[in-house]
Formats: sequence, structure tokens, C-alpha cells
Amino acid sequence: MAAISNFLARRGAALLATWRIWRDTLRFAGRAGVTAATPSAYNSATRGVVMKQIYFTAWQILPGFTLFAALLSFVLIQIVVSTAASFGLSDYALEVSMRLLVLELLPLVTALFVALRSGSAINTEVALMKIHGEIEALEDAGVDTLRLEFMPRVIGGMISVLALTAATSVLALVLAYLAVYGIQLWSLPDFNRVMGKVFDAPVLLSILLKSLAFGLAVTVIPVAEGLATPRKLFMAPISVLRGMVRLFFALMLIEVASLAFKYL
Amino acid sequence: MSLDLKWMADEAERRAFIAATPESILVSPDLPLRANLSVLDNIALIPQYRTNLDYNAAADQAWSLLLRTGQTGAAFKRDPDLSHEERFVTKLLRAAIGQPPVILVDRPGMLLPDLHYPPYLEALLSELADILNDCWILDYTWNAPLYPNR
Repeated sequence: MAAISNFLARRGAALLATWRIWRDTLRFAGRAGVTAATPSAYNSATRGVVMKQIYFTAWQILPGFTLFAALLSFVLIQIVVSTAASFGLSDYALEVSMRLLVLELLPLVTALFVALRSGSAINTEVALMKIHGEIEALEDAGVDTLRLEFMPRVIGGMISVLALTAATSVLALVLAYLAVYGIQLWSLPDFNRVMGKVFDAPVLLSILLKSLAFGLAVTVIPVAEGLATPRKLFMAPISVLRGMVRLFFALMLIEVASLAFKYL
Repeated sequence: MSLDLKWMADEAERRAFIAATPESILVSPDLPLRANLSVLDNIALIPQYRTNLDYNAAADQAWSLLLRTGQTGAAFKRDPDLSHEERFVTKLLRAAIGQPPVILVDRPGMLLPDLHYPPYLEALLSELADILNDCWILDYTWNAPLYPNR
């Protein structure tokens, strides 16, 4: 009986801890959102942090990530085009490859890449700030850390995910055109007709919302997890591990929700 | 500037004293610098954030304070590369640049372990006298013999 009671108490405590961290994450997202919507929250210091975040998250990785996205897009487009041709469905190759790449794969790959590179860095930095007392030191000096350190990271992260998704999507469009029509311009009207069919207003809105949700997740979850780190140095790797696992599930949930919304 | 020494009997009294002076800015071993910013940026951050000064103007202010304290050599270093003295001066300037009514230098012996700190502190604070309001040094009673002039 005691063993069952202990087991239930432990599971209950773990469940409560999980619920608490998600509640704190949502609370942080709400506070960051309200601060971001307040024009007076922006000053030269916060703008500087936003620009640094965009630089580190999007600009620094742009050449390498664009090259990788181009390679991935090219291979997948070739697979779709040749498979469609072998089934006599060449007319659908362009539409299918665009739906696969621009609507689903590229936003998710971008979010995962940013999560691995910048999300983990943000989680580590915020956890170490918390552990070393840097947040307390800034607050003591009269600096609102939500406004200076955390909200700009969220804004910068969202802009970065959006910009990288847009850049890789445009590249995929160009590669798809080249793969289907070759190096010539007189098929542009046909290409535009297919694109107009695939990317109608609701679809464009859904890509925008999905990318914004990805951008929000890759910054809000690492910051919230970092802020929840107890002030013990050995907790830093545990905080990053937890943050990355939660981030992975959040990204997958957003993707599944988006698929269900579009196709079910 | 008025410089005052506050003698604390133990840690509980020190904590209670700090809690009772919320208007003060602390220079304390418990409140580190931002590790991913240089000394110059740590100091410039305060006017940049609090008075919306653009970065260059804030950095000029920070540089002039470092010049006065003879620490321009540390301007572009980050926290792990600083000596105790450089770190202390940076923390003091970060507090001073906002011109708070009171600066509390908490346990200077822990901030400057390699120096005979009372005369050093007196010289440094008098160098910054025109930008400081009240400055209180919080030290334990058993360190009183280290302050021969007080």
C-alpha cells in the first residue's frame, strides 16, 4: 500500500511540475507579448538586443542554411518530379513538390535548425544568467530584464524564423521552376497559375501563422525553461535538456495541428 | 559625495540593512556583471536602457568614467578575463553612471581580496566624488582595524 502511495505521490509531483512549467511558459509568453505590443518598451538598448538576436539567429547562418535548404529542396523536387512522371502525373509534380516543401517541410526544418542552434544557446544563456545572479544584478541596477533581455530575444527569434522560412521558400520556388520547366522564362505564366492555385490567401495566412508560432516556440520555451532553472550550476545542462525536449514536442504539436487544420 | 561606513555584526544584520534601503544600488559580490558583455557595454547599458541614450553616446559616457578611474585597458574585456580590481571598478561604475541617491559597497573585502582596500576605496571614490551622491560601505565589525582613518 505504501509503495503504491509513494508511486502515486511521485507521479503526481512530476505531473504538477510539468503543469507548472507549461503554465509559467504561457505566462511568460503573455507578458512578453504585452511588452512587445507596448511602444514605450522599445529603446536603443532593446533595439540593439533585437538586432543582435536577428544577426546571430538568421544572418550568421544564412549562407550555410540556404545552401542546405537548396540541396534538400532540389533532391526532393527531383524525386517528386521523376516519381510523378513515372506514374504519368507530371502535371501535378509542381503542385505536389510546392505543397511538400513550402507548406510543410521548409518551415519545420527552419524551426528545428533555429531551435538547435539558437534555442539551445538562449536556454543555456538564460539558465546561466539565472544561476549566477545576473538577472538580479540587472534588476538591482533598475533594468527590467523582461524588456531588455527576454522580449527582444522573442521578437528577434520570430523575425529570424519568418525571414529564413521566406528566403528558403523563395529559393524552393525557383528550383522547382528550373526542375520542371528548365532554364527559360516563357513558362512563367503556367508556373504563376499553379502557384496561384497552391498559395491562395488562407494558405499564405496559415504559413505565416505557423512560422510565427514556430518562432514564438523556439524563443519562449528556452527562455522560460532558463528562468525556471534553480540557482545551482549542475542544473544548467538539465535545464537545456528539458528545454530542448519540450521545444521539440511543441514544434511537432504545431506541425500536427497545422496539418490537421489543413487536411482534416 | 558623502562617504559613510556601516558596520555589520553578522550576515543577518547586513541582509536586513540592504533590505531596508531599497533606493540604493548595490555593488556586491553577489551581483555579477553581464558575462556576455564587455566592461564598456556593461556600464553603457544603464544610460542606454534607462534614458534611451543611443549606444555611441552611452559608450562615450562609460569610456570617460573608465578614463577617470584609469581602467580603459579593461574596456573591451569580459568578466572572466577581469582582475578583482577591474571587476570592482566596473561594478562601481555601472552603479554610479545612473547617479542613484545611494550606492552600497557591500563587503569590499570580498570584492577586492588582493588589496588593502580601505585606502584604495577612499581614493577611488574621491576620484568620482562629483558624480556620486551618498556612498555607504558595508563591512563587518571585525574589519574595522583595517580602516585606520575612520
